[in-house]
Amino acid sequence: MTSILPTIEANTEIPPAHRADMELAAKYACEGPRYTSYPTAPQFREDFPVDQYLAWQRRDGDHKRAPLSLYLHLPFCRDICYYCGCNKIVTRKNGVARQYLDRLQREIQQQSQLVGTQRPVTQLHWGGGTPTYLDNAEITELMHMLASHFRLLDKDYREYSIEIDPRTIDPGTVALLKGVGFNRISLGIQDFDPLVQQAINRIQPYEVVAPLVDNIRSHHFRSLSFDLIYGLPNQDRHTMKETLRKVNALRPDRIACYNYAHLPQRFTSQRAIDRLALPSPEEKLLLQQMISHTLQDAGYLYIGMDHYVLPEDELARALQEGRLQRNFQGYSLHMADDLLGLGVSAISQIGDFYLQNERGLEAYYQLVDSGRMPFTRGCKVNSEDKLRRHIIMSLISELRLDIGDCNRQFGIDFSTRFQRELAALAPLARDGLLEITPEEVAVSHRGRPFLRNICMPFDAYLNAPGDGRSPPRFSATL
Amino acid sequence: MTVRLADAGDHIVLKPCIHDYQVNCGNCRLNSICLPLALESDDIEQLDNIIQRSKPLQKSQHLYREGDEFKSVFAVRSGAMKAYKTTDDGREQVTGFYFPGEILGMDGISNNLHASSAKALETAAVCEIPFTSLEKLSAMMPTLQRHFFQLMSREITADQQLITLLSKNSADERVASLMLSISTRNSKRKLSATQFRLPMSRVDIGNYLGLTVETVSRVFSRMQKLEILRVDNKEIKILDVQGLQKMANVGD
Repeated sequence: MTSILPTIEANTEIPPAHRADMELAAKYACEGPRYTSYPTAPQFREDFPVDQYLAWQRRDGDHKRAPLSLYLHLPFCRDICYYCGCNKIVTRKNGVARQYLDRLQREIQQQSQLVGTQRPVTQLHWGGGTPTYLDNAEITELMHMLASHFRLLDKDYREYSIEIDPRTIDPGTVALLKGVGFNRISLGIQDFDPLVQQAINRIQPYEVVAPLVDNIRSHHFRSLSFDLIYGLPNQDRHTMKETLRKVNALRPDRIACYNYAHLPQRFTSQRAIDRLALPSPEEKLLLQQMISHTLQDAGYLYIGMDHYVLPEDELARALQEGRLQRNFQGYSLHMADDLLGLGVSAISQIGDFYLQNERGLEAYYQLVDSGRMPFTRGCKVNSEDKLRRHIIMSLISELRLDIGDCNRQFGIDFSTRFQRELAALAPLARDGLLEITPEEVAVSHRGRPFLRNICMPFDAYLNAPGDGRSPPRFSATL
Repeated sequence: MTVRLADAGDHIVLKPCIHDYQVNCGNCRLNSICLPLALESDDIEQLDNIIQRSKPLQKSQHLYREGDEFKSVFAVRSGAMKAYKTTDDGREQVTGFYFPGEILGMDGISNNLHASSAKALETAAVCEIPFTSLEKLSAMMPTLQRHFFQLMSREITADQQLITLLSKNSADERVASLMLSISTRNSKRKLSATQFRLPMSRVDIGNYLGLTVETVSRVFSRMQKLEILRVDNKEIKILDVQGLQKMANVGD
């Protein structure tokens, strides 16, 4: 990887600060999980102890009254975006949303009975696919469906968010979303450059997005989030500079920049992307540095894992107060321990269990129609997993691990138990990515882009000897 | 309920009362606004069977209160209603006015509890549309539920759009927007778009628009001076629609 350095040095356009960071980035580039869960999704199995889960849910206890976070997966899209690796179905066929809503209704009835209908829903997120594939009447119906089976809140502190495709939304829908209870919106921007948009089959000019943002602001949504992607075809530092200028002009409260992982053998839609139009690895590193420096210069706070927030945003405060959590939706405020995922392929994190709903639409329909629970894969978190999950999630969400606290909570001696892991982290510490003292492991500002690298030594499954199955494929860390 | 107008010998002359709670969806003059549904006539009959009509509400009587379980939505058949929330310090915050043909109670949808209270601004007749019966009926008439959610989404959208409009503009713009809104809603019911009686007090208008009563009165005076409106206590006559639109700062 060090071979790219001469090219970088030869380029006089790159400021020295970027160059130093790029050298580090090049050094630590490797494949690794995003740690939206631990154990990560490749560890979920069909033969997980589902009976234990059902038995636990059927017992009464505090877990039937605690706050709950809900995720709804709405898989349909009108058009295909070539980069996308989500579970989605591209269709314009009439009636697909209706069929899906009918199944969701049954799932909602079943799952709410199992998980508890009286738990305050502090967080709700509709993701996809394209949630706004639903028309206004269907959006209203779905919210009504949820409200009649769960205890939705109208408190200001609730976080009810929805992903919007700027191409398929009219101004009235924004008003409706506010009216049915959403208070946060996330926009899939990806990139503003026309050639990039063309190459990914997602045409949504700035002239379309800017009035939408004004409309969202005028309805007083509490937070607006943008998704950006770097590493897309036709992207270079010039297009990125312009995209970032436009992003900054619209000033979203939160920005998530995802790294495009080109895996055409796994995601068929990516085969439509011309490999030769992709930025080179060194250009991609530069793009990442540009994003990081430009956004921070513009006043955004860098959380880590490619997430940026305005300092006045709740996430920024939560980071300082240790109230941040990471789950399948990225970073959010820690308001509920349990996350229930509804809809095809949705993942739940409840108690000691991870559960994933059936990923094929037809098979999901069959399960629901036959009155069975829709989850088909999962895992039970054991005590070793819990310890490692605590470490990994603390490092990702709080950017530090309190060793004393960890020792007390799990009854261990961290420095002897994790001798091997600490040794693996020593080179990263020498590079200034983190600091290890007897009291804590603290990620430095410089180390924030390398959270995955910092967490990976604690991932027992990643470091386990092969069990005969093919190794899971993760996207490159950088 | 019918009103006995006069005794003319053996013939009793009857005129339907606007608060009549025996009216049905088929003959309700508001059905084109309230139920813009492509329903067949027997469908309307079935729908009519689930709709509950009770005695008219008297002025200041509540239809539902904040925190009540959300079981039904309500269509105003006559009179006018206001919705309001109680703020943490116990003050009333008016969140909307509802006229005949309009549906209220939908703020309950997002948490299954009514998020505001509704009371009559004057004697008002209301049709109650219970959701559970609606769901049962929808099994027989699959398009019905969809029609209802469409209707609800339109009402929710219109509410939010008005709230947004009112929250960001100047006092003149807010009062003018409300007058335009009432005018448009009147014309939808085939009533005069330029001459109407405000069912709500100046206090309610000010509360709803986030303005003091004095400011509301000042804006009305200014509108009179500019010959945009004539105001006689609660009677409004719009003299210059374009001037009002200009004042509201809305297009066309």
